[in-house]
Amino acid sequence: MKDQHITQEIAGPDRTKTSKRRKIAGLAWKIVGGLLLLIIVSCSMSIDSVVQPSSVNGGDILPVTLNVTITTNTTQTSNFMVAVLVPKIWKAAQNSTITFTSDISSGDQGMTLIPAGTPAPQGGGLDWPTLLASKIGNGGNLLPDYEWVAFYSNTSYSVAGGATIHATVSIKIKTSPDNLLFKLGYCVANSTDGLSSTDRYGSAFSSCFQVNGTGDLIDFCNPQLSTVDPRTSLDNDIITVTFDGGVQSTPLDNASQVYLCISGITDTGDSLSVCTQTDQTKMTPLGLNKWQKDIWPRKLFNLTDNQHLTGLRYYFTDPTGGIRVGYAGGSAPFIYTFRCQ
Amino acid sequence: MKYKLIFLLVLCSTGFFACKPERLLLPSEPIKELSGNWQIIKATRNGTDLTARFDFSHFRILFTDSSYSIDSLVPFIVSRNGKWSFDDPQYPFTISFRATDSSAKTSSLLYPVTGGQRNLIITFSPGCSLNSYQYTLQKAN
Repeated sequence: MKDQHITQEIAGPDRTKTSKRRKIAGLAWKIVGGLLLLIIVSCSMSIDSVVQPSSVNGGDILPVTLNVTITTNTTQTSNFMVAVLVPKIWKAAQNSTITFTSDISSGDQGMTLIPAGTPAPQGGGLDWPTLLASKIGNGGNLLPDYEWVAFYSNTSYSVAGGATIHATVSIKIKTSPDNLLFKLGYCVANSTDGLSSTDRYGSAFSSCFQVNGTGDLIDFCNPQLSTVDPRTSLDNDIITVTFDGGVQSTPLDNASQVYLCISGITDTGDSLSVCTQTDQTKMTPLGLNKWQKDIWPRKLFNLTDNQHLTGLRYYFTDPTGGIRVGYAGGSAPFIYTFRCQ
Repeated sequence: MKYKLIFLLVLCSTGFFACKPERLLLPSEPIKELSGNWQIIKATRNGTDLTARFDFSHFRILFTDSSYSIDSLVPFIVSRNGKWSFDDPQYPFTISFRATDSSAKTSSLLYPVTGGQRNLIITFSPGCSLNSYQYTLQKAN
C-alpha cells in the first residue's frame, strides 16, 4: 500500500516532465548507439588482385598471393581473417600455410586454422565455413565436394582511424595428386565485423584452375554430361548414374527412353557387361532430358564373394541399343573408378 | 442395543477386510523385442532418400532369439545369415551382427515408435566407409 502511494506521488505532478526526459534520454541513447555502431563497423576491406598460376602438377604446392587494402574510419583492434574455397580432397585444413605482411606489422605474420564450429562474429551463430558458403557462395563450382577453410592471424592488430593499410597475403596449399579443374575462392575479413555487410570484407574467385594429376578428371568447372554419386564409393555401395542431356546436344536428344549400357572391370582385369535394354538398365526421367539410375554393382554384375570391381565403363543408349552416347557425347565410354579416400 | 453391536461388528470387520496392502512395483524397462520379420520402409545414403529410387521392397530380415536370416539382400551391414546381439538388452544403443565365418559388425540403434509401429533404425556403411546409410525397418505384416 505504501509503495503504491509513493509511485502515485512520483507519477503525479511531475509525470509529464519525467516522461519527456525519458523520451529524450532514450532518443539520445539511440543516436549515440547508432553512431557507435557506425564507428565500430567502419573498417572496409578489398582484394585488389590475386596472383596464382593457371595450373600446377598433382601433389605440388599451389602458391597464391592476395594484395589487400584495408581502410579504417576509427581505431579498431581485430584479428585478420583469410579464407580459401578449395576441393575437399585437398584437405586444406591440414595442408595449408598462410602468412601475410602489412604496413603496420614487421615481417611475416602467421595465421592459424579456425576450428570448424567456431562462431563467426555477427554471423548469427554460424561458423566461418558455413557463413562463407552462404554469403560468398561457391564461385560457380558445379560439384558439391568443396569447402571454405578459414584462418585467423595469430595476433590481433590495432589500427588507427582514417588509415589505409596494404597487406600482402601468401597462401601455400599442397594439392592432392588428383586430376581436377576448380574455381578457387578467397575472402578477407576481420574478427570484429565478420561478413556483416559487403564492404566489410573482400572476396574473389579465380577462373578455372587446373591440377594435372592422375586418375579420372574431376571437373568442377564444366557441366557434365554424366556424373556418378557418390564420387567415392566401392562396389557394395548404391551408386547413382546421371545422364544430363541438357548439357550438350547428343543423338539421344529426342529419346523417349534411355538405357544404361555398362561394364564392370574386376580387379583381375575381367570385363563384365550388362548391356541389354531391360528394366534393370532403364533410366528414370527427371525432366529436361535428364535421366538417372541407381545401381548396386555387386548385384547388377552378379559378383561372387571373391570378385571385386575396380571401375566402370558405361554408355547411354536408346531402347533399341542402336544409338549409343559416350564421354563428351562421343564413342569412348564414360569411366568411373571405385575409390574410398 | 444387541442389533447395534452386531451392526458395528459387521461394519468393522468389513472395513478390516476391505484394507489390502498396496504392493508398489518399480516400473521396469521392457526387453526390446526384435523377434519377427522386418522390412525396410525408408533408406537414405549420405542423407539422400533412396526409398523410392531403389527396390528395397523384397528385403526381409527375420530375427529369432539370437539368430537372423536375410531374404532378398540389398546393400546391408552384413550379407550373410548369422547371430545378432544388443550391447544391453534393456537399454540397447548398438546392435551387432555376426555373419557366419565373419567378425561382428556393429550399428548404432534407434528404436522409436512411430504411428503406433515400432521402428528399428540402423546406420552403417556397406561399401566405402565415407558413405553412411540409414535404414528404417518395420515389422512386415
